[in-house]
Amino acid sequence: MSISKWLEPYKKWGTKFSLWPIHLVTACCGVEMAHTWNPTYDAERLGSLPWHAPRQTNLILIEGTITLKMARVLRFIWEQMSDPKYVIAMGSCAAEGGIFWNSYHVVPVSKIVPVDAYAIGCPPTPEAVIQMIRIVQRKIESGEARANVKPRTIDLTKVLTPSPTKQPAPNPPHRITPNPHIPVCVEKKVDWAFGYDYVSKQLMPALGELAKKIVVTDVNRVCVETETSKLKDAAQALYKLGFDHVKSVNVIDVPHENKFYVEYWVSSYSKKELMPVLIALTTEVPRDNPRVPSLIDIWPSADYMEREMYDLFGVWFEGNPWMGKNFLLDPDTPVKFPLRKDVPVVREFYLVDREFPSAAPPAAPAKPAVAKPQTQSPTQQPQSKPAQTDTAGQGSSTG
Amino acid sequence: MGMGSGERYVELPVRMEVPEEFVRNFVPIPKEYVEEAYRSDEYLVFIGPQHPGSGHMRIILRLRGDYIVDAIPDPGYVHRGVEKLAETRLYIHVLPLIERPTIQDSANFDLGYSRAVEKLADLDVPKRAQYIRVILAELSRIATHLYDAGILAVFIGHSTGYMWAFGLRDVINEAFVRITGARTTLSYTIPGGVRWDVKPEVLNFVYELTNYLERKMKDMESIFVKNPVTIHRLKEVGVLTKEEATKYGLVGPFLRASGVEYDVRKVEPYEVYSELEWDIPVADEGDAYARFLVRVEEIRQSIKIIRQAIKNIPDTPIISEKLLSRIPPKDRPQAARDIRSFLTKTHVGLTPGAGEVTTLTEASRGLLLFTLVSDGHSNVPYRLRMVTPSWLILRGFMESLKGYRLADVPAIYGSFGYFPPEADR
Repeated sequence: MSISKWLEPYKKWGTKFSLWPIHLVTACCGVEMAHTWNPTYDAERLGSLPWHAPRQTNLILIEGTITLKMARVLRFIWEQMSDPKYVIAMGSCAAEGGIFWNSYHVVPVSKIVPVDAYAIGCPPTPEAVIQMIRIVQRKIESGEARANVKPRTIDLTKVLTPSPTKQPAPNPPHRITPNPHIPVCVEKKVDWAFGYDYVSKQLMPALGELAKKIVVTDVNRVCVETETSKLKDAAQALYKLGFDHVKSVNVIDVPHENKFYVEYWVSSYSKKELMPVLIALTTEVPRDNPRVPSLIDIWPSADYMEREMYDLFGVWFEGNPWMGKNFLLDPDTPVKFPLRKDVPVVREFYLVDREFPSAAPPAAPAKPAVAKPQTQSPTQQPQSKPAQTDTAGQGSSTG
Repeated sequence: MGMGSGERYVELPVRMEVPEEFVRNFVPIPKEYVEEAYRSDEYLVFIGPQHPGSGHMRIILRLRGDYIVDAIPDPGYVHRGVEKLAETRLYIHVLPLIERPTIQDSANFDLGYSRAVEKLADLDVPKRAQYIRVILAELSRIATHLYDAGILAVFIGHSTGYMWAFGLRDVINEAFVRITGARTTLSYTIPGGVRWDVKPEVLNFVYELTNYLERKMKDMESIFVKNPVTIHRLKEVGVLTKEEATKYGLVGPFLRASGVEYDVRKVEPYEVYSELEWDIPVADEGDAYARFLVRVEEIRQSIKIIRQAIKNIPDTPIISEKLLSRIPPKDRPQAARDIRSFLTKTHVGLTPGAGEVTTLTEASRGLLLFTLVSDGHSNVPYRLRMVTPSWLILRGFMESLKGYRLADVPAIYGSFGYFPPEADR
């Protein structure tokens, strides 16, 4: 017992300079994380080095967004790490979701693992990450996470008199038309002689009855509309013409007309003159029974995109063996087929004077809203808190 | 390497139970597949989701001995729903969303999206803005190729290569800071032009930077690119023939490494690429080393493009005339150099005409496709389809693993520069 007390400062000192972050690049902030250990910033001089095995590490840098699928992995890894372990959440996404806050597939990090320090930024600069490593080191030393720079507190109430009336938040500038007409496969007159020639001399004879209409929609863009039953034959005919790969499989949801447009954007690598030509093989399927024949026998490159479209829209590609299973999405995703138009998203809104409009989550803003009716300024509320913790922090470090 | 051939199939006397963790951890393969693999002479190895690469995905490998028979991808660990969120944000607010998936390559992604909006809204882009965009796009290409080279070095255990690549990247980030104010997420290219003008001294800095890069690339080549270890790890692994590359729809440098001469900048030139002189690097081998070398050569071509662009850049406004006309006449000279304080007037109400537009862009890792559907009345997109290069190379990546050994997986993975956030969006 006494020996451990005697050893404690040495143990702290040792832990402080052997912070080994696990190599868990969860999202795009990993780019700046990689820069933190590059020759320019060299965080290794602080005694930290990314390592790939969870058992030998004691720090997680959560680099950005944690999706539902990643959350489970994060928890596993955190549980495997040896004690004492620390967590740095990097970037706005790791704090509250950042610009992806209203996504169907994103969770805040603080719900999964306890966070010791938050690095600010989108993405945070390597300097910010290094600062967070210093904060964790201070936490090891003194038991609390504290920045090495103490921010100045300024009493804003002397400058700004809080307005007595409640300011309404301005309306969001979004203008969304309900039930619009969606123009897909619309002809456009363009200056593209090769295209018109190709459509009339090659595409029309090759497709014949299979296509409902063949139109030039833009320079280098052709739209071939066909019926779902003839989709496979039309694809076969296009393949024979030299269109050998799929660049995109797209679904457009038009709920008010009860249909999905399914588009295969195909092009050619093998024929030089067809390289710039992009053909949209389009078909309409009813929204209540969206079934399309899969074209992976003809174009294997469409496979993963068909799976993705099943994930996001629920369009069933008959013949693709992956149908009915999730590919991109986590099985626990709260919504099914999230890209359908009838799946709602929490809308963005303006914050004015810390008042949320009715759509907002009720928990967070409760305090300032109560403080409002008293003439007490709402700006003073957050100020008093850091000041208190600051003085407390000073007391403990000196004492 | 045919899988499941009859004579090695061993029927076990007892029923093989699938471990419970498999079910609990959402292994995305059917139970029967696991059982079949267990009963035969083969076994399954899980690579990831936590691995030393960049971003996360899981690959389920089916092995016979240590040869890979089958590879099943499990992406989606960084799927953030960009396509859905884009349907709720203004056209200008979509920019930060679409550049987050590929944070090193944000200039190319901004460019692709901006071009889609411009086509839909029928906006012209002044020449100076086009040149600035090209300079940024090529800087971004160099930065991404260096990033991938660094990650490849980490994969094959060559940390010196990582240090060199990331050291050079920092210089490019400095150029980004001087041009746009941000290190990685630029949001600088906007529909109709760019946000503000570039000063001549900054252009001089970028020119100096190309000299520095060229000099340093020579050193890096002898240290990392032509290092015998690199060559031995990468040569003749992960080979994709021209036919396979076409069949599986590869894109970008990975397609060109298999001998297909396809580059969107040449096939369907955009911005000012047709006015500049440069070549498409192509290789015939189709192996991991060819994929790496093609990208190293592309860095040289990008340097060539940047130098020409800096030399030829004209002096015009940096934002579209059509957008400038929305600003009061007295502010127009100022707005023609810096549109930032007028974005509320020009871009918030931006409502393109009804229609569907698909643009192709050559991002660093290959073809980037945006399909944008507008209904003509809303100031948010009706549908944004974003197909990223990493998503398109995934199939070819999985096919290239088959027939090689487990120890080759890092080399092949690194040679594709596969970036999961980009693939999952």
